Amino acid sequence: MLAAYAQYWRINVLTLLEYRANFIMWFAFTIVYHAVALGALYVTMRQFPSMNGWTFREMFFLYALWMTGHELHNTFFFQVVSVPDFVREGRFDRFLVRPLDALFQVLIVPQQLIPDGLVLALATLGVALAVAGLHVTALLLLVLALVVCGGALIDLGISLTIATLSFWFVRVDTLRWAVMSLEQDFTRYPISIYARGVRLVLAFVLPFAFMNYFPATFLLAKQETGLGLNPAVGLLTPAIGVAWAGVAYAFWQVGLRRYQGTGS
Amino acid sequence: MTAVVAPYWEFAKKAFAREATYRFEVFTNVGSLILRVYLLRCLWTALYAQNAAPMNLPLHAMITYATVALLMSLVLEIDGTRLIQEKLREGTIATDLMKPISLPLYFFSDGAGRTLLYAVLVIPTLLCALLLVHIDVPPPATLGTFALSFLVAYCVNFVLNFCMNAIAFWTLETFALQLIVRWVSDLLSGQIVPLTLFPGLAGRLLFALPFAAIYSTPLLIYVGIIHPSGWRNALIVQCLWLAAFGLAAFGIWRAAARRIVIQGG
Repeated sequence: MLAAYAQYWRINVLTLLEYRANFIMWFAFTIVYHAVALGALYVTMRQFPSMNGWTFREMFFLYALWMTGHELHNTFFFQVVSVPDFVREGRFDRFLVRPLDALFQVLIVPQQLIPDGLVLALATLGVALAVAGLHVTALLLLVLALVVCGGALIDLGISLTIATLSFWFVRVDTLRWAVMSLEQDFTRYPISIYARGVRLVLAFVLPFAFMNYFPATFLLAKQETGLGLNPAVGLLTPAIGVAWAGVAYAFWQVGLRRYQGTGS
Repeated sequence: MTAVVAPYWEFAKKAFAREATYRFEVFTNVGSLILRVYLLRCLWTALYAQNAAPMNLPLHAMITYATVALLMSLVLEIDGTRLIQEKLREGTIATDLMKPISLPLYFFSDGAGRTLLYAVLVIPTLLCALLLVHIDVPPPATLGTFALSFLVAYCVNFVLNFCMNAIAFWTLETFALQLIVRWVSDLLSGQIVPLTLFPGLAGRLLFALPFAAIYSTPLLIYVGIIHPSGWRNALIVQCLWLAAFGLAAFGIWRAAARRIVIQGG
């Protein structure tokens, strides 16, 4: 299994070397994508320095924290998002007849990928730490690492759940897209700006707020004004990540059995 | 005259019908916009609640600006000239060049047909948006000038896309480059944040760039930051950009059609 995984990364890198110009363009796009998001935020917050008590520097940290967790997820679990396509096109069945875990096989479908997004995210997080004026200690780095891993697992839990639903419903794109939009756009701001219902969804139904909002509130020593929780809930992120990913994996197993049952 | 226009009218109708069959994508587009309208309401409401408002842009004007910008994007984000790339990759552009039609005009009518479908979608989107936000409606003269300015903006956007896609004649794969230009232009054209919020020199510079002709000019006319006395100049500047990019597109097309290389396979 380890050998297969090493082989997978080797193929990724080799394909990438074949299409170097293309890779550089896509990497440039990733940089521009995040630069535009942060640039728009900067311009806005020059005029409006406070968003429910958050400054630009703190929002920068909020963004970088989400970005790192999300990129960590994209680096290792990106192919989960393709499962509905595999199922629809009938390409999923071959994973079931091979002597390896089906999910593992999904994760190692070759793609042109090296962890460039992750490297960029880590660099951004480093800058964000300085910008937010956080005192860097070994403890802080440990907490950050756990939060980022927890964030990636939350991401995985949600994308795996959606992927599993495609065993029952062939078309899950609407759901997938709605959740993606909720994640990418709504995690940029402190949840206190939304209506109560949306805050509850972001905290407990699709817990994206645990990827960045709650941990950032705690690390920046801010008051949690969205739901009036103790800021220390931000430390629960790794636990919530493990729980979500675990439940999603169990659900995936149920889905797999169901999928085999139809024989389609 | 009708004999000249008729085929292009048919192309547009065909594109409209073709696009309408992808109902799912259409639905997603509208849904995505509604979510973003909700987001922009939360965002600007929170920002205005705790900070001093800019002088010429009170909260209702800002929400109007942002919502109309989103509705415009429904139309402006359709890239009618993406077809050039598909035709290049599949090689069908060779036979197209032999047909007794003007290919750029074909792309324009195809794009216009697709755009028309999304323009129709503006109506349900607008109705849903009105449940979430209040949009100011300016007097008819302003609305008319906005419509005119939007039309010019559509054409500027079209020729800009055309130039971008025609680069494919030389490099064959430009999708990432196009996305880069799209994101940068979203920011620099005032689609995300009004250009009046950009500070000092950067702000003045942005008004001098062509991107402003796409979103900023029509929107600033709509919310009244460009006064009626400034309408004429604003429209002239937009038209100059249209002429400049139109010429560039013409030049690129002439050069490209001559050096066409079809990828094998």
